[in-house]
Amino acid sequence: MEGAFSYAPAIAAFPLAAFVVALTFGKWMPRKGAIAGIAATAGSLLFSLWMLAAVASGEVYHETLYEWTAGEAAGEVGDGIEFTFGILIDPLSALMLVIVSLVAFLVHIFSLGYMNAEGETGLPRYYAGLGLFTFSMLAFVYADNLLMAFMFFELVGLCSYLLIGFWFRTRSAPSAAKKAFLVTRFGDYFFLIGVVAIAATFGTVAFAGDDSFVAAAETAIADGDTLFGFDAQTWVTITGLLVLGGVLGKSAQFPFHTWLPDAMEGPTTVSALIHAATMVAAGVYLVARMFGYYALSPTALAIIAFVGGFTALFAATMGVVKDDIKQVLAYSTISQYGYMMLGLGVGGYVAGVFHLMNHAFFKALLFLGAGAVIILMHHEQDMWKMGGLKEKAPVTYYTFLAGALALAGIIPFSGFWSKDEILYDALIVGLNEPVIMAAYAMGLVAVFFTGFYTFRMVFLTFHGEPRSEAAEDPHPVGWAVKVPLLTLGVLALVAGVANLAPVAKILGVDIVFLEHWLDGEYGAVEGLTYSAYGELLAYETGVIGSEQLTILVAAGLSLLLAFSGAGLAWKLYNVPEPVAHKERLGSARRTIENNYYQDEYQVWLARGFTLPLSRAADRFDQTVIDGSVNGISTASLFGSSWVKRLQTGIVTNYAALIVAGFIALLVFLGVYGGWF
Amino acid sequence: MTVGVEYYVLLSMALFSIGLFGVLTRRNALMFLMSVELMLNAANINLIAFAFYHGNLTGQVFALFAMALAAAEVAVGLGIILVLYRNFRDVDVTVPTTMRW
Repeated sequence: MEGAFSYAPAIAAFPLAAFVVALTFGKWMPRKGAIAGIAATAGSLLFSLWMLAAVASGEVYHETLYEWTAGEAAGEVGDGIEFTFGILIDPLSALMLVIVSLVAFLVHIFSLGYMNAEGETGLPRYYAGLGLFTFSMLAFVYADNLLMAFMFFELVGLCSYLLIGFWFRTRSAPSAAKKAFLVTRFGDYFFLIGVVAIAATFGTVAFAGDDSFVAAAETAIADGDTLFGFDAQTWVTITGLLVLGGVLGKSAQFPFHTWLPDAMEGPTTVSALIHAATMVAAGVYLVARMFGYYALSPTALAIIAFVGGFTALFAATMGVVKDDIKQVLAYSTISQYGYMMLGLGVGGYVAGVFHLMNHAFFKALLFLGAGAVIILMHHEQDMWKMGGLKEKAPVTYYTFLAGALALAGIIPFSGFWSKDEILYDALIVGLNEPVIMAAYAMGLVAVFFTGFYTFRMVFLTFHGEPRSEAAEDPHPVGWAVKVPLLTLGVLALVAGVANLAPVAKILGVDIVFLEHWLDGEYGAVEGLTYSAYGELLAYETGVIGSEQLTILVAAGLSLLLAFSGAGLAWKLYNVPEPVAHKERLGSARRTIENNYYQDEYQVWLARGFTLPLSRAADRFDQTVIDGSVNGISTASLFGSSWVKRLQTGIVTNYAALIVAGFIALLVFLGVYGGWF
Repeated sequence: MTVGVEYYVLLSMALFSIGLFGVLTRRNALMFLMSVELMLNAANINLIAFAFYHGNLTGQVFALFAMALAAAEVAVGLGIILVLYRNFRDVDVTVPTTMRW
């Protein structure tokens, strides 16, 4: 594996090249830039796999490639700060690189069937957007410092904006794009402040190594330093929470989740790549990347866990009443990212990353499956107009079903293993911490809703009798649609093998590959391993009876709830002519259908609070600031209009003035110089 | 018998005051120029008187330079007066007041 890492920059450079090619020559290319994108992402995938193999052979890569700028000023702790671009490839980023490039590759192939075959216009723009996104996401993943991560974090946000607004001639897409941009930007604002705070405090923004901000924070806490008037631990919590603002925005966590359902206005392939599998994962990935930092602050972790658990339940309940297949998936995405946050928040680093990986696969699968359904249905997204697609599109059905089973957390699909591990980790911590217990309880209840809405979607879409002409005579799908679905379908089924923690603990066999992987069994940067994080965590864990019993109880509970949710959906919707059962929700129905009025209150915040505030600020600017500036210039104009009369144009007057001035000067010097 | 330096200074002061008076009161440009010459020469008297008093020649040499400068100045001044006359048919310094606000 000698020298494998020197090719690491190419992973991100390939999609960047594809972006340039698609943008400049896309119009004249046979597939409007698709081939370039596919080739580039295939290259990225191969190189990422190579990196994975290199890390597996026990090597890691942490190299600064370019020094952007360096300062002399010392921070509160440490000295001269450097802003650099560098690459950090350790088990976590190598794994994420593979996930991102794999999903990007499959989505590019799927786009051939979804975009090209449908005769869309503006395809070069579409492929350029995908290329730029893939580039920024990959660069974000292997960024070795917080500032570089922030830059690419922003860049993926920009790509998301561009791609959501792909159909910019419609009314809704540009508005959704703007909303996504603004809401995530609001979170990123805090992220930026956090980056500045961390840089100013520790004089470094590096993720790894002895001079990382994580190590600096650890030292500061150990030494009992006071940072900016706060106790070191409090300051770590504050900066951690500021960075968390960006995470919540990007990963669509409460209260910044409102943009994600609207983002479904973009092409379904974009939803699969960006708003399900990768970009939304950026937030969670960032928490995992700087997990050592959060591990120092129990408060921040508890907040992460609680917000995660709450979002998991909150979004799942909203997903229950949606009629649009993509909306259901959007809410399930929010909910699933809630699980990951819960997992990370309770210190389940492996569980969180495991779910991140599994979710990337099965949610990309579900979105691509939904894309296939949309092709089948001649661009109809309302599930009440579908039905009976099971026999007509078996490949789509069975792959979608695999994704649905994984999403609902049905054993033995991948989603079960990771979600169960998250809930188990939350439970053992929750036994000692009431806040975590509440988060766990919400996560557990969300399992029921997840099972319900997932199978409601499956039954409405594929089972029963066709409920529209399009459903009776579906449009056929080609190989470009089926290949990605099959690949991801297999992954959704088997990806759980990576970490069969419950089985391992009960049977006592060593089959927790992902845990070993993230623990640096193969190779890792020092301090960025699961066990290193474990030492930093302040959580006490408890068990019910024995460890085995706890595992069985946790798994049994979540399986039971998943099955009962799915069973309820089966009973209600797996009938030839399903009808809506929303009126049974009673008074809660309106609230849930309106998404708990989240959009309304945010619009109110914008209109009722921000707008008047900015108007007042504008008025202050126009009157007080501008007024004083104008006043000064008016006074000086008026004054000079009088003083200028001194200049008469008559030489004699000037001479008289000079003489008078000279005499005055003499008198002055005489009086003060002591001549008299 | 030598004359005390204070008499030279008094002479120069008187000459300067006459020149200044001329500059401030005369309206004829030629008179104006002459008054300026008077003031210059008052300075020259001072230079020579103190050179004599201190017994070195620097002041006298300086006075020579000042006279050459005065000659040049008069040339320029007369040129201006000629142009003044050409434009205003008059050499009254209070007439041309266009160079003001």
